[in-house]
Formats: sequence, C-alpha cells, structure tokens
Amino acid sequence: MAAVRWVVGGRVQGVGYRPFVYRLAHRLGVAGTVRNGAGVVEIEAHGDDDALAAFAEALIAEAPAIARPQLLERGAPTAADDIDEGFRILPSRAGEAPRNHVPPDYFTCPDCLAELADPGNRRYRYPFINCAQCGPRYTLIRALPYDRAATTMAGFTLCPECRREYEDPLDRRFHAEPVACPTCGPQLAFVGGDERVAGNEAALTAAVGMLRAGATVAVKGIGGYHLLCDARNETAVARLRARKPRPHKPLAVLFAEDLRDLHRVADLSPAHEAALRAPERPIVLVPLRDGHGLAPSVCPGLNELGVLLPYSPLHHLLAADFDGPLVATSANPSGEPVLTDEAEAENRLADVADAFVHHNRPIERPADDSVLRVVAGRARPLRLGRGLTPLELELPQPLSRPLLAVGGHLKNTVALAWENRVVISPHLGDLDGPRARDLFARTIADLQRLYGVRAEAVACDAHPDYASTRWAAAQALPVHRVWHHHAHASAVAGEHPAHRRWLAFAWDGIGLGPDGALWGGEALYGAPGHWRRVGSLRPFRLPGAGRAGREPWRSAAALRWEAGMPWPLDSEMAEGDAALLRSAWERDLNCHRSSAAGRVFDAVAALLDLVREVSFEGQGPMYLEALAAHAGTTEAVALPLAQDDAGLWITDWAPLLALLDDPARAPVEKAASAHESLARAILAQAVTLREREPVDAVALSGGVFQNRLLAERTLALLDAEGFAAHLGERIPCNDAGLSFGQVVEYAAATSNPS
Amino acid sequence: MQDTHVSLAHGNGGRYMRELIEELFARHLANPRLDVDADAVAIPLPPGDVLVTTDGFTVQPLEFPGGDIGALAVHGTVNDLAVAGARPHYLTLNVFVEEGFEIAALERIVASLARATREAGVAVAAGDTKVLRRGEGGGLYLATTGVGIREPGRRLGLREVRAGDRVLVSGPVGDHGVAVMLAREQFGLRGDLRSDAATVLPLTEALLGIDGLRFMRDPTRGGLATVANEIVRATGLDLHLDEALIPVREPVRAVCEMLGYDPLYLACEGRVVAVVAPEATEGALAAWRELPGGTEAALIGTLSETRNRARAILRTPLGGERVLEELEDDPLPRIC
Ligand SMILES: [Fe+3]
Ligand SMILES: [Mg+2]
Ligand SMILES: [Zn+2]
Ligand SMILES: [Zn+2]
Repeated sequence: MAAVRWVVGGRVQGVGYRPFVYRLAHRLGVAGTVRNGAGVVEIEAHGDDDALAAFAEALIAEAPAIARPQLLERGAPTAADDIDEGFRILPSRAGEAPRNHVPPDYFTCPDCLAELADPGNRRYRYPFINCAQCGPRYTLIRALPYDRAATTMAGFTLCPECRREYEDPLDRRFHAEPVACPTCGPQLAFVGGDERVAGNEAALTAAVGMLRAGATVAVKGIGGYHLLCDARNETAVARLRARKPRPHKPLAVLFAEDLRDLHRVADLSPAHEAALRAPERPIVLVPLRDGHGLAPSVCPGLNELGVLLPYSPLHHLLAADFDGPLVATSANPSGEPVLTDEAEAENRLADVADAFVHHNRPIERPADDSVLRVVAGRARPLRLGRGLTPLELELPQPLSRPLLAVGGHLKNTVALAWENRVVISPHLGDLDGPRARDLFARTIADLQRLYGVRAEAVACDAHPDYASTRWAAAQALPVHRVWHHHAHASAVAGEHPAHRRWLAFAWDGIGLGPDGALWGGEALYGAPGHWRRVGSLRPFRLPGAGRAGREPWRSAAALRWEAGMPWPLDSEMAEGDAALLRSAWERDLNCHRSSAAGRVFDAVAALLDLVREVSFEGQGPMYLEALAAHAGTTEAVALPLAQDDAGLWITDWAPLLALLDDPARAPVEKAASAHESLARAILAQAVTLREREPVDAVALSGGVFQNRLLAERTLALLDAEGFAAHLGERIPCNDAGLSFGQVVEYAAATSNPS
Repeated sequence: MQDTHVSLAHGNGGRYMRELIEELFARHLANPRLDVDADAVAIPLPPGDVLVTTDGFTVQPLEFPGGDIGALAVHGTVNDLAVAGARPHYLTLNVFVEEGFEIAALERIVASLARATREAGVAVAAGDTKVLRRGEGGGLYLATTGVGIREPGRRLGLREVRAGDRVLVSGPVGDHGVAVMLAREQFGLRGDLRSDAATVLPLTEALLGIDGLRFMRDPTRGGLATVANEIVRATGLDLHLDEALIPVREPVRAVCEMLGYDPLYLACEGRVVAVVAPEATEGALAAWRELPGGTEAALIGTLSETRNRARAILRTPLGGERVLEELEDDPLPRIC
C-alpha cells in the first residue's frame, strides 16, 4: 500500500472533474479524497502501487473532454492516517488566493445528444439539456466560484429528479450547474407578428414552419441571437440581406450534425472536419463545391463558406427538424455586439426578423460565434468567441503587476494578465458604437471580478483616437502605450517564446506608426519590447483619410498617382470630383502617408474592377483571393527592393501597376500574380535581412495574413529558404490579437533583460 | 487718402492714422454713438440683463464665397449674444492690420462689416486699429466685443435641458466650413458652395416667444458634433441624433465625401441648434420655417437618460450606431 497527494490545476473546475476523479477511484479501487482548492483540485489516495499508477495516469489521460488538467504537484498526503476506506468528495476549501478558471460554453456532448434523441428519456427533445460535460458556462456565470446560485439558472428551482442527479456524485449531472429538464428548466417561446406561442415543441414547430416558408427567424441561443433563414432559398436570403442590411459580407450556414448535407456543399479536409466537430463548435471557413445548391447570395463573390454545426440542443433540434442548411448570422448590425436581451432584440430587429424564438434563461454576457480558417493545414482563429473564450494562456515570465490590455479599435478584444497568466475576452466588436463600448467596459470589469484580479496598469494602442486608448487614458492607472505593429509582432512571438531574434512582417490595413504615418507593410526586427523597423513598402499618400478603408478606389488612385500614372481610368467618376480629389492630394489636404499592405491589396482589387466601395472590411482582398484561386500557373513580377536614406529596406509595389495594365493577361492571372509577387517580396526582404542580422524565426502578423493564399505561399517560400516561419495559432492575426500582443510587449518591457 | 497699401505710419497715432480712421472706418461705420475723438463713450441701454461677449477673428482667406472676415466679425459676436437670448445693441471693434495690406481690400471688408451691423441692428460704439509689421499677421485680424440686453429672469441654458427634450437645427450644416476650406486651398470657385454666414437674430428671436425653449447655441468651430458633445457633457444625458434627419446640402455632402470630411464637424456661421421641450417641437420648427434662414429647419435628435456614460450617439442610415466623439486636433484614420 502506498499513499500519494496530487494537486491538479488548469481547467478543472466547472467541467465535472471531481466526479470524474470520484468515479475513477471507484473503478480502480483507490481510497481517498478529492476536493476543490483555490482554482485547483487536490487529490489524496491510497491503494496498491499498480492501482495508484493507473489512477495517476488516468487523472490526465482520461479526463473529461472539456477539462484541461495539469499536474502541478505530486507528494506525500498531508494526513495519510485519516484516509479511510472508500473515496469521498470533500467540501471546497476556501481562503487561499484564487486561481480561478472561467469555463467557456461547451457544445452538447454525445451523452446528452443521445438522450435528446431518445423518446424514452425524460429530456427527449428538451432544448436545454446539458450535463457536467456540456452546456453554457461563460455566458451564464454571474460570479465565481461556479455554483448554480451564481448563474442565470438561479431562478429555476430544481425538481426532485434533477436535484437527485445534481447531488449524486456518480451521476453525469453531479453539480452540473445549468442542469434542467422540461419540468423545472427554461422554456422556449415563439413570437411572430401577433402570435405568441409558449412551449418548446409548439415554438419549434412554429419556427420551422416559418423557416420553410422563407421567413427570417431570430433565435436566442447560448451567447446571443442569431438570424436564421433557409440557406437554399435565394429570395429568403436576399431579403435577409436587404433588411439587415448586409449587402455582401458572407453569411454563416448551420448544417446538421451528420454532415450529409455539408459534404454535398463543401470539400472538407480532415482539418476542416476536426475543427467543425471540436467542442468549441466554431464557424469554419470551408471550400465550396461547384453547384453547391445554396442560394447565390449566401456568399457572393467568394468560393469559401463559413459553416458551423449545432452547438446547443436548440440548434440540434432546429437543424434536424428543418432538415436542410440554415443561414445563421449574428442578429446585430455588423461590428456591433450580438443582441442578448429579448426586448432589445424585438426592438432592434423589428424590421429584420419575421419571428422570434426566445427562451427564458437569461444571457449574462454575450459571446459571438468563433470563426476559424484552415491555413497551412491548421485551423486558426479569425475571431475569438463562444467556446474559445475566455482564452487562457501562459506567459513565459511572471508579470510584476496585474495588467489590463485593451486592444485596438476594430474587432476589439481585451486581455487581463497577472503572474504568468493571460485571459483573453471574446470578440467585443468595433468600438465605434455605444453598445460595443458598453460591452468593452463591462467585460473589463467582469474579467477582473471573475478572476479576482485588479489591474494595476493598462496597456493600449498608441493611436490617440482609438476608443480603447481614450478609455485607458481616463483610468487612474499607469498607461503603457504600444505601437500597433509592435503588438501585432509580439502576438506571434508570444505564442513561441523560445525564439529570441525575430523578423516579423506586420502587414495589415493601417495602424499608427511612431513616425506619424499609417503603417501596415512593415518588417520589424528584434523581440517583444525591442522591435526595430528594418523594412517596409514604398509609402504613398491616401486621399480622404479614413474613407480609404471603405473605398478601395482611393487606394487605387493613391498608388497610380504616387507612381506618376493617370487616374481615374474610366468615366465612373465625374471629372470635377476626380480633379478636386487630385488637388487635395497634391496639397496634402486630409491625406495621410501610408505603407499599408492592406491598402495595396485594396488597390489591386479596385484596379481589377472587383470593388470600388466595400460594405465590410477586407472585401476587396477577399474577392481578389477568390479570383486568384482559379488561376492555373502563376508568374510573379519582381518588386524591387532597395535601401532608402534611413537604411530601411523598401519594396516598390509599382511593377504591380504595370502588371494590372497589361492587356495580354487575364484578370485571374493578374490576381494570382499579385499574391505571388507580394509573397516573394516578403521572402526577398527576409533573405536580405538575414544576411545582416541573425534571424531565429519569422512571424507573419496583421490582418492581411487572413488571406490564405498569401499566407500559405509566404510560409512555403520562407520554409523552402530554411526560415522557421510562424502565423498566429491560438491568437488571431488580425486586430483581435492586439490585446495579447500588448500584454507580451508590456511583459518584455517591464521585466529585467537577462 | 492717397495710399494704396497700409504702412506702419497708419498705426503710429499721427495724421496717417487719423485719415485712415476718418476716411475709412468712420465713413462706413458712422452712427450716433461712434465718436472717434472720445476716449470712452456712454452706451444707453434698455432695461434688462446686460450680456457681454467677445471674440477674435483670424479666418483665412479673408474673403470667401458667401462672406468675409468683416461680416464674420459681426455675425460671430452678434450670434453669441443672440443664442444666449439677448438682443445685441453695441459692438466694439479692434483691427490688427498687417503692413502692406491693400487699402481697397480693407475698405471692402469694412464695408461688409458695416453692412452686417445694419442687418443685425447693432452700432459700433468704439474701436481701435493697430498695424502689425510685415509678416507678423495674416493680413488682417479683427476682434469684436458685443453688448446686448436680455429679458430679466429668462431661463435659458443647458441647466434647463431635460430627458425627452428634442434637438433642432435651423438649417443645413457644414456650408461655412466647406466654403472656407475650398477658398483657402484655392481649388477654384464653385458657385454652389457658399458660407452660411449670417446673423441668426431672427431665428433666435422667433424661438424666444415659445414656451419650452431650453437652450440655443450656434454650431461654429467643431460644428454640430461639438455642440452635441457640449450638451451631453453639461447635462449627463444621452443625445441620440438621426443622421438621416440632419440637413446637409448636396454639394456640401459631395465635397465632404470626396475629400473625406465629416460635415457634422464643420463650422456653420448662420445656424442655430436649439433644445426644446417635446411639446414645443412643432411650434419651434414652424416658426423657423417661416424665416428665410430657417426654411430647412429640422428635428434631428432626442435626449434621454443614459444607461452607462452619457454620449452623443448618431444613428446611421443603415441602422447602426456611432458615437460622435469630441473633436480631436487633426484626427487620424483608425480603420485598420
Ligand atoms: Fe492591425
Ligand atoms: Mg464666439
Ligand atoms: Zn452533456
Ligand atoms: Zn428538472
């Protein structure tokens, strides 16, 4: 006989870990105790050596799918003599510094799915079925420790049967805080026009009937409302687009669990399928087949579609009952936080949705869908949301004091960091609007409260007009300003702390650079806290300031004029207007110097007539990428690389304009060639710089690398030249990654260089 | 007066200066109160609260479509008194003219200034002229101080504003800002772009008789968005503006779109923003629309209790919402 004590940390609370340990001990005939400590689980056990060895291994290897246990300590029991026969769950121990983990929302687990489909089960077709292994968490927690009374389920009194399950350590629903059943749990309600239908089955029937008839139905899910409509009905989809309004941005489509419909529509690689089936149940971008049969306006101009599988029992029921793909798009104006409140949804969506499916389980805080794209064989996040967040990561070195990093302005996320922990919030939206700003402030307060940490410093972007920067400046805390592209570079470097000397390509739309110009095509050398700009793109002046982001034709004008070429090329713009803009450009009136690669992509898209004005960010480059996918062979044009007076290596984009002018080449070919040329331009900068400085690894960062073609070609070219090249894996390469990058920058700047 | 350009001698207190004052300023600005020989003058005033305001004028270029610095120096000060609920009676005028300035241009500007005083029914009671060395001034600076009378006990101001009150604007915004910018950059004149510079006295007097008038302001520097932020800051209320309701003239909109400016942040010199009780909305709009300067008056927003921190929120035509920020010096684009 032997006795051992383990302390297990990581994500072990709110995931059914103690009952799992309890059942494991019974199975292996191990005696002892398990209890919750401050964010950890403490286990003491005695038994024969073989049993204990098997127990130790299974503690990690067989842990519940959604747990992320880490063995922190192994030692002698504190009170071996007290261990009697049998295994017990002891009351939680309080009073130590908390090491909380806020669990994300989980998809419906296979056990619950089986019950959902079993007519003999008392939760047959119950839209709120869950267990200790699945169901909402982050979106219904009001406070920690995670306990039913501190969730939005507090108002639902457990029926005797649910209570028995909840209190039985051997039951799958032992301390499953959101546990519910048709007798005691939340219910659906359908509202369509004057009709109000209560009851789960009646509401589902009414909703599915509306969907079949081509209507738009707003459905309250886990983290907010979705708008659903028949994805094969062009009239329905076009109407949803016109009313939302969302003229072009691709819409996500919900497919049933069995993938039968999805396989008809898309070519799935194993990486796509694994990402779709992952517990986070994100939206995954998948390549569309020709003749996919979906309404054309689901994703006009693109050959990739964002799809998701049901992540909640309600979505399972809707997808199965409807029996076909459903458009499922967040029910909020683009860039705003998802709607969570019944009255607000009815008010804001009055002109958009024909009907509503509400439920009476309050959503404590919104979480939009996560979005992943498979790039270079790996599913990488474009948006952090439901299921992935709060995203908990570790820092290589502990922070001297707790830090709040408030991110950028668009696609905002915030990060709370203390000791060697970082927690990243879900996508909060673009901070132009009041709702996103309220959510931003609320999430900041929330994270600090939930994790029991109070920030003693704030990191923010150096752009003075970002709402996040202004918020930071208004706090009574020391402010650490981080240059936009330094944060982008550090977001990648922070994921791979082993590398010391980085060459980071920070390519994005625009961000403020230390010289007052709008950067976005930068090569930075160094490491977090110590970046030095070593390369860039030939600068140009963007006419009309902030409007360039919405109007790619301005980038086209900027590049052509900068290169001494005429613009406009057609009669689409009145002569007087073009002359007025040209005069302003010559006088530098409301023009800004920029080196942003995103604007170069915009210019190419505009000069290929793919877009003039856009209704969503990245529209031009996305169309360009989609067009390039049809190309056969691709020839690059050489973009000259030369040092400027300051010693900066500058790539000249001007040969791209000649390529675009070439009447002998097809647009498809031009689109592909532009990608290849820019990928090779990065390679050329990397090779040139490596001749002068030691480079351990190359980082690709910034929203431009959401472009799969560019990212994959660049990674492949760098790899072939022997570079260790990295693109964000858990952190989005776009501005959603800035908060993490700011944390990494702060950590480096405030630690003593060894 | 023989000289064609202003010289330093015009500012030295001697004969040249006397000639300039008598033959140019006094001739145009003549009124019973103006006594160029007196050190100080008495200004008889009707009963009421005496209001005083002062302003400096440095606009470039000095003359632009729809106005000039002279007219602006009157309107600016008269309008500040008018939106405070006062009737302006007197102005003082300080002139800082640069050596070498063309006398003919000075005369045009002073004549325009005089015309503006007659329109507003005010008299210039005192004045002073200084000549700046060549290169030390932008040609001409003006400063005016205005004195007006307000009915005693009139309650007007941001302290009177309540949740539920409505926000009105007397006409299209951005005209002055665009006209001056285009003139300054010498883009070539466009007949459809003129400053709105005018006295707002008829507009403010039309509202003074209306019950439920709470507050008035002329949206000059920083434009409508800046007034919106002033209202929000002082009242602690949310201000919801509906972009589709805010009048902007088509040529102004077109130039703003082309050059990337937001008309809500551009100066007006002849408009009034008013806050009124909800039940006073129709009456106020009707009163304005009868006036030549108020035909395009519009209801543009509502004040409400805030759930979080008070903001000016613009509802866009696409149904989105945008916070109207306080103006930054030379805002930088932030779209990434
Ligand atoms: Fe960026
Ligand atoms: Mg003033
Ligand atoms: Zn389950
Ligand atoms: Zn129950």
